[in-house]
Amino acid sequence: MNLSHVIAGHKSPGNVPGNPEPSRAVRLSLGWRAWWPYYVMIAPGLLFILIWDYIPMYEARMAFEQVRIIPPNIWVGLKQFQTLFASPVFYAVILNTLIISGMKLLFVFPVPILVALMLNEVRGGPLRKTIQSAIYLPHFLSWVVISGLFIALLSPSDGAVNDLLKLFGMQPVGFMTNTGAIRWVLVISEMWRSAGWDSLLYLAAIIAIDPQLYDAAEVDGANRWQKIVYITLPGIAPTIATLFILNMGMFLSAGLDQVFNMTNDVNRSTIDIIDTYVYRIGLQTGEYALGTAAGLFKGVIGFVLIILTHLVSKRLTGRGVW
Amino acid sequence: MAEIATTETPHPAAAQPPSPLRGEGTSVRAAIGRSPLERIEYAIIVSTLLLMVVVTVQPLINLLAISLSDNSKVAGMSGLAIVPSGFSVDVWNVLIHHPSVLRGLLNALLITGGGTLINVGLTTLMAWGLSRPGLPGRRIIYVIVLITIVFEPGMIPEYFFNKHFGLLDSYWSVIMYKAVNAWYLIILVRFFEEIPEDLIEAARIDGANPFQIFYRIVLPLAKPAIATIALFYIVFHWNDFFHPLLYLNDQNKWPLQLVLRQFVVEGDKLSIVGLEDMGKYTNASQINLRAFKAGMILLTIAPILLIYPLILRYFTKGTMTGALKG
Repeated sequence: MNLSHVIAGHKSPGNVPGNPEPSRAVRLSLGWRAWWPYYVMIAPGLLFILIWDYIPMYEARMAFEQVRIIPPNIWVGLKQFQTLFASPVFYAVILNTLIISGMKLLFVFPVPILVALMLNEVRGGPLRKTIQSAIYLPHFLSWVVISGLFIALLSPSDGAVNDLLKLFGMQPVGFMTNTGAIRWVLVISEMWRSAGWDSLLYLAAIIAIDPQLYDAAEVDGANRWQKIVYITLPGIAPTIATLFILNMGMFLSAGLDQVFNMTNDVNRSTIDIIDTYVYRIGLQTGEYALGTAAGLFKGVIGFVLIILTHLVSKRLTGRGVW
Repeated sequence: MAEIATTETPHPAAAQPPSPLRGEGTSVRAAIGRSPLERIEYAIIVSTLLLMVVVTVQPLINLLAISLSDNSKVAGMSGLAIVPSGFSVDVWNVLIHHPSVLRGLLNALLITGGGTLINVGLTTLMAWGLSRPGLPGRRIIYVIVLITIVFEPGMIPEYFFNKHFGLLDSYWSVIMYKAVNAWYLIILVRFFEEIPEDLIEAARIDGANPFQIFYRIVLPLAKPAIATIALFYIVFHWNDFFHPLLYLNDQNKWPLQLVLRQFVVEGDKLSIVGLEDMGKYTNASQINLRAFKAGMILLTIAPILLIYPLILRYFTKGTMTGALKG
């Protein structure tokens, strides 16, 4: 997908109204009479976007203010940001975010690629379809549900994982309350949720590879691994690059919904991320301006990351992020 | 070649893309392998995938087994169990009579139903208008939409937006949240751009006005694409817990996800104490908490499971061709 395409829009030769595409002057002279129905159709949605997405952007000015009980607030410039950067908690939170995102990139990101490669080897429609139907499901469950599932699964007294450990004569572990284990719980549960569904994009890319390449390799006597290494992997490399870059663009969002539902008083210090910090100081403690500043910090870095990744992606693979 | 993503679903004019849910024509024996080594490889691959299936499905079956077990036997059950020990539907009986659960279910249906209707209506109309080539101002509107993708002002400004508009503690705050999703809008615009102009032109010559063309020609053609978008929105609304948590203080307005969160994640036993009164609905004087939680999780998943066949049918194709096309 490509930003320039999106903005430049159409490729179709026929145009409404008038054919071929009218010049700007002609379009404007056709004007309101020809186009008003389309503006009427666009207006409600556009209005919603302007209200629901743009007014909050204006509300974000609070990051530069001192909130007072009796309005108006006072403009304090970068004072909130200075407070933020002077706080050791904020650095701990950023470090947690980077560690968790990094672990997910390292351990979760490659798994769907492997799953797609394996699925592609499976022959027989019904078998493959059954496997796919099962492994795509977790993607559509909420993090409240998945968290509930994992709390049950990891329960030291009667959870499946600890029952397995006990079966092998090991001591049960309280994973949810173990500060050393909880980040791995995030990694594993993320894997449980997305390894199946995310493989779909890679599978699509694999299926788009020219079958003649495989036939030719077959004639040359290539085995399964040679075909994977020399045909499949190069074939899906652009997809891998795009998704990797897209992941980088989301690096500061380590998974709010997930962390939010897996946090308890014992494990909080290890998995407190920027988003949960914003929620806690902003909406629970009531330091609105400070919370807004932290959120805005993340928003701006995220903005820069996404634009950068879009440009890098376009340069490397010929297509942007959107 | 950076081919612009085209359609989610096969278009009359476009060739159907290969579906990942379909096996290819390659001979089964050739793929499984000829040599013993290749057959062992194949066995390993299939077993790994089947193990994945088990790891995905077993936890859900375990919960089902626990929720259907006899109350006195739940305490000793292993997380590995897949059949109920004893049999009783007491938990389900209590669940469907529990006031917070029922209210949560109704709230969730209201939010999901209302939200999706508004989402789909606004997104479809806007996408059709935006897809018209040569529309003056099209570029500007696109940029306005794209900015919402790249920049997020954060949760506190959004909270204050709702506060200043008097939406806190109102269903509208969550029903209207992100009424038009920029990604889905773009997917739909691309679909509409692929509709052959000849069809539209013919209708125009026959004297149909743009609204009639939209209603009579575009909507029927775009049904599968709109269904895909609708499913995206349904899943979003049903699974959303964070925005209701932020905007709805009144627990009577909480959707099912938040009720589940209170029971299961926060282990808020106080809120389940009402269970004692549940005795009057069933013979069970005491319901095992673990069984109750298991049933509650399954109840929250149930609607997703109901529409899952549709999801498989529409989403898989949609993500295939709509999101990333090399």
